[in-house]
Amino acid sequence: MATTTGQSSSNSWLATRSLRQRRLVTGLLFSLPYLALFAVFLFWPLIKGIYMSLYNWNAIYPSQSTFIGLQNYAHMLGEPTFWSALFSTFYFVVLTVPSMVVVSLLLALGVNREVRGATFLRTVFFSPYVLTVAVSALIWTQLLGSTYGLVNVFLESVGIANPPAWLQSYAFAMPWISVTTVWWTVGFSFVVLLAARQNVPDRLYEAAKLDGAGSWRTMVDITLPQMRNALFFVVILNLIWSFQMFGQSYIMTSGGPGNSTTTLVMYLYRQAFHQHNFGYAAAVGFTLTFVLIVVSGINYYFLGSGESI
Amino acid sequence: MSTESQTENVRQNERSSSWLSNVSYRTALLYIALYGTAILFLVPYAYMVSTSLKTRSGALSTSFHWIPHPISLHWYAHMLIGGNVPHWVLNSLVISVGTTVLVLVVDSLIAFALTRIEWPGRRYVFGLIVASFMVPGFVNIIPLYTLITKFGLVNSDLAVILPFAAGPLGVFLLVQFFRDIPREMQEAARLDGFSTFRIYTRLVLPLSKSALSALGLFIFVWSWNQFLWPLIVFQDEGSYTLPIGLVTFQSTHAFNPAVNMTGAVITSVPLFVLFLLLQDRLVDAVAMQAGTK
Repeated sequence: MATTTGQSSSNSWLATRSLRQRRLVTGLLFSLPYLALFAVFLFWPLIKGIYMSLYNWNAIYPSQSTFIGLQNYAHMLGEPTFWSALFSTFYFVVLTVPSMVVVSLLLALGVNREVRGATFLRTVFFSPYVLTVAVSALIWTQLLGSTYGLVNVFLESVGIANPPAWLQSYAFAMPWISVTTVWWTVGFSFVVLLAARQNVPDRLYEAAKLDGAGSWRTMVDITLPQMRNALFFVVILNLIWSFQMFGQSYIMTSGGPGNSTTTLVMYLYRQAFHQHNFGYAAAVGFTLTFVLIVVSGINYYFLGSGESI
Repeated sequence: MSTESQTENVRQNERSSSWLSNVSYRTALLYIALYGTAILFLVPYAYMVSTSLKTRSGALSTSFHWIPHPISLHWYAHMLIGGNVPHWVLNSLVISVGTTVLVLVVDSLIAFALTRIEWPGRRYVFGLIVASFMVPGFVNIIPLYTLITKFGLVNSDLAVILPFAAGPLGVFLLVQFFRDIPREMQEAARLDGFSTFRIYTRLVLPLSKSALSALGLFIFVWSWNQFLWPLIVFQDEGSYTLPIGLVTFQSTHAFNPAVNMTGAVITSVPLFVLFLLLQDRLVDAVAMQAGTK
């Protein structure tokens, strides 16, 4: 009696063990192609980057690199161009993210009303998103040109004499880069918020109407809270993108005038691929990553709800 | 009595008509705001197309004309016949198609393994992939560049395709989608003698057509539009993609708006066509990312 039960249980144990092993092998086989790419092109560079940031890296003869501990980071903190790039990056974020959220929200709520041509409007507002940064930035560079640019031609035609050369101006270059960015990518946030608005159940509005709530109350008490997760997503994504801004400055102003539109990613790019300071540039990269994680964390603390998106 | 009720009636009429006019006033404002913004959104396109059809002197004239006079296709001919632009178009196509196909294949395979096969450790693998969303693209460019140099892939399309396909977005989206396919269907297929691989090709993939096409379109657009990384690894003019070529072109033709805008039209037309044909799919792909779909 005892032996048979022992045998059968050990048999089934063997069976489940081999089934588990078979599943493990199949699971790994299906996962292997992606995991190989992930390991080689994402995970390994990340580790290697941390390592490089601790070296005075020799870009031509890597074996002659010397370990210098945290000196790259220390050097960075004493470098005025680093601080100016950090400042420009924050300035761009502060200009861009709130405008992006407000514009996309207004457009989404507007198109959600029963307007004629809603599909047409959606197409128009979303379409610049399929452009490359090269095209968007080039069009706006020319629109903003000092003599032949459409913006100045228009201003002169309404009687404003000698409008400035916008992209060569310390005061106006960054705000116009921000306008270009909003035009180019607001479609993404707009589509997200429009979908979120359409997901709010109609019965909530019917109930509010019965309670005699006005349109402002309905907006504050129903629409915005119901769209909370989508708004959080839009804010965080725009923060992450804006902190990484590169192409617009590279194309429209080359980081100028002075260093006023040189962002951190642009600073990193120059340090790495013009000056060949690979170790130092890697340190700048990790610092920006750290800033991103902190900012996302703060945002999550204030806006993120218990639910995940 | 009757006059009183009459005045009451009149008052009510007045009130309702002022309410009505208030509503139509607000509707008019809404329309003006929406269509006004739409026109502002379209101005850059109109400028791009109009300028691309101008002659050099026409584009530099101080008086601006929306309809060029004379209309000239000179710059299109100049760019598309001979020169590097056809190479750039081809490179962009190879990279976008290659990336899209590779992403769809490897991401759907692992998403299938993570949702449809119960193997120990799959939660950790998925956790690691999701955590990699925290790694921004730029932080890896320096070590990646040394890696690509070591592999001898500088100027090669693979230098752009492979790192892109390592990104977590596709895996994440397909896992969300595959998760919702009812387990009973898989068990029924298993009883019919389907192997695991056939369940993947014959059951899960066909059921996920909408998600796969939305993701594919999004990846195509995104890889067509990449800028920073191709700028670094393509150092030879013949290996450029359209966006990179366009920007280097601009630096040598700074005073020729017409030729720049022609390049911009050539770069964006393929995507606009794709966008107008498959707009709903792309909207789905965006909404899927926010979890609102």
